[in-house]
Amino acid sequence: MVKRLLAVIGGVAAILAAVMLLRPTSTNPEEARTPWGEPDLQGLWTYEEEIPLQRLARFGNREFLTDEERAAIDKERAEILTRGAEVSDRRYERGTEQDVGGAYNAAIFTTHRPIGRRTSLIVDPPDGQIPPLTPEAQAKRAEIRAFQVALLQATDVCRNNLPGCAGGKYGPPSPRRADAPPHYLTVVGAGGPGGGGGVVNRANGPEDRNLGERCMGAMLPDFGGNTGFMLQIVQSPDSVAIFYDTAQGQGWQRVIPIRDGAHAPAHLRQWWGNSRGRWEGDTLVVDVTNFTPKTYFLGSYENLHLRERWTRLDAATIEYAVTIEDQAVWTRPWTVKQDYRKQDDFQNRIYKEPRCHEGNYGMAALLAGARTEERAFAAGRGPDPATKCNAGCGGFAFGFADTGDESNPLTR
Amino acid sequence: MQRWSTGAVILVALAAAALGASAALGARNPAATSADIARQPDGRPDLSGIWQANTEAHWDLEAHAARPGAVTQQGVYPYDYARVPAAPVLALGAAGGVPPSIGVVGGDGRIPYTPEAARIRQANGENWIDRDPELKCYLPGVPRAMYMPYPFHVVQGTSKIQMAFTFTNAARTIHLDAVEPPPDDTYMGHSLGRWEGDTLVVEVTHFNGKNWFDRAGNFHSEALRLVERFTPMTRDALWYEVTIEDPKVFTRPWTIAMPLYRRLEPNMELLEYRCVEFVEEFLFGHLRKEQLVRRWEGETMIVDITRKVPPGDKLYEWYRR
Repeated sequence: MVKRLLAVIGGVAAILAAVMLLRPTSTNPEEARTPWGEPDLQGLWTYEEEIPLQRLARFGNREFLTDEERAAIDKERAEILTRGAEVSDRRYERGTEQDVGGAYNAAIFTTHRPIGRRTSLIVDPPDGQIPPLTPEAQAKRAEIRAFQVALLQATDVCRNNLPGCAGGKYGPPSPRRADAPPHYLTVVGAGGPGGGGGVVNRANGPEDRNLGERCMGAMLPDFGGNTGFMLQIVQSPDSVAIFYDTAQGQGWQRVIPIRDGAHAPAHLRQWWGNSRGRWEGDTLVVDVTNFTPKTYFLGSYENLHLRERWTRLDAATIEYAVTIEDQAVWTRPWTVKQDYRKQDDFQNRIYKEPRCHEGNYGMAALLAGARTEERAFAAGRGPDPATKCNAGCGGFAFGFADTGDESNPLTR
Repeated sequence: MQRWSTGAVILVALAAAALGASAALGARNPAATSADIARQPDGRPDLSGIWQANTEAHWDLEAHAARPGAVTQQGVYPYDYARVPAAPVLALGAAGGVPPSIGVVGGDGRIPYTPEAARIRQANGENWIDRDPELKCYLPGVPRAMYMPYPFHVVQGTSKIQMAFTFTNAARTIHLDAVEPPPDDTYMGHSLGRWEGDTLVVEVTHFNGKNWFDRAGNFHSEALRLVERFTPMTRDALWYEVTIEDPKVFTRPWTIAMPLYRRLEPNMELLEYRCVEFVEEFLFGHLRKEQLVRRWEGETMIVDITRKVPPGDKLYEWYRR
């Protein structure tokens, strides 16, 4: 017991120490303006606090946590993670596909940031929830989901009724395995709940796999996620360059032109959209449109419209607010706010490399593995590949359990 | 007659040496620098904007005559100068060739390879589509990124200069302030900049040695060290000169130099060339369940080309009569 308590204290101390190391040394507000008189957004930035995108139901319309609540949540999370570490990561039953799928070390997917003051990143609507999906978006999601579970239905995931099979049932291999998907495949969550891994349980070619596995996972907007991010901003009077170090080698370079006038022609579609920036007082306001049908953000594809507001609040802080709109997907626009804290320029903790693409042996191995399984089955030396799982199979062994008391307190 | 011709040879040689020296020193630029260049409030030149080289350097840094195809094979005669386009580009006709260039290498115009490195360069050129990292959409490295046939955006901040490249969304940061060295070697290197008058001088180190200079097979090792010099010539042109040093590959330092031009279109902006997606077929096509390209033999792509004559093509109708 004492040992466990010490471990918990150690964990909390490590979190605090990490946060203190990240603090910038200077807080001189004079630094916050460029020589040409505009607010200075330059430097390295990241978010230092863990805040769920959507508010937990138990907080209702309450926007902020008390200090006591924050301390209690941090303590509970540290305890669960410490127990998880003691059993050398939570894992599924040894030898199952779920266990193999969870062979990643849980540490890299487990955030150690302390809980922030806000109850949710979403500040509008006031309940902190993503607005309801339109019937059109629900139908699109259901079509993708139906395709996902059809391809999973002959696997253990459905036989054992694991979360990855939600909405589906166990049965013989589906003839839909030979079909093209109903929409361009993007990320696991595009069809609703999934258990990690690829988008669909198939690897006929790279397009069957998720954008992350294809080294095209970077998206806009990005609020961090399990691997976090670091921004490097360099600014001139007519442009703001932002490098998004989103980890896993999927970082990307953005340049926002400070320019009046129309967006690029509507038929010109871009993975990261088309940005137009302008200064409104001391706030950089950026309008982003022209996304591609291959871009995905929580249900929205090419009609995603972002209105970003970048404001330097003080020497150490940028407030990033983005209003997210897609009339075909959500019944109303919604707004997210996130604070970025300035990091030490000298330490230069931003890595444009190694990139995912130059080392993407994973894709080759995944496709080669699928072809090997097909050959073995054809020769009567192995199981039907349709009964094996490589997407939505149960996923990684996170530091938190999937459900119950040991799950992440920020998700229940 | 004898004396006249000797004198002429000497004169020509002197002129050539002078030209070579001036190219090597980038002497074309200082004279051209005008007072009318973009400047920041502190008086430093402002290199911000969208720039692009307008050379054939991305095909081959050295001087070369036009080639009939980006990939060629031996023609009916065995001479090197009588090669013909090969299958991968044959169907592209006159659009599949390589444009000629006077070259961008200073001095005698040749890259001073060690004998062993010269053999590697030769083999690289002969196996271009098998070996060039550009074809795999890998990060292009420096200096190659600076003269690829795509625009790049320079954002000059107060302590960093950021360069965003169209090709594969590559990026580099030139640190004008003090930073810790990088934890590892990289494709794009580690760039430290300083001002010498109106010239931005950048020392680039920490390369991983996986890049080439061009599509001709010119290459370097991880021992590469660069000194780049960016000097504004006018508002809309920079003189770009690089001293290249790599004792594992070259017998001495050598230089390349060329102008970089501002893209003057009023609606110019950087658009995506996200070739990570474009090369999935190139890299993984042989691992598809149902192959798209006819045909793969194991990992070897064999390109069968179909080119059809459109109905009504006058040339073909005439000769068929």
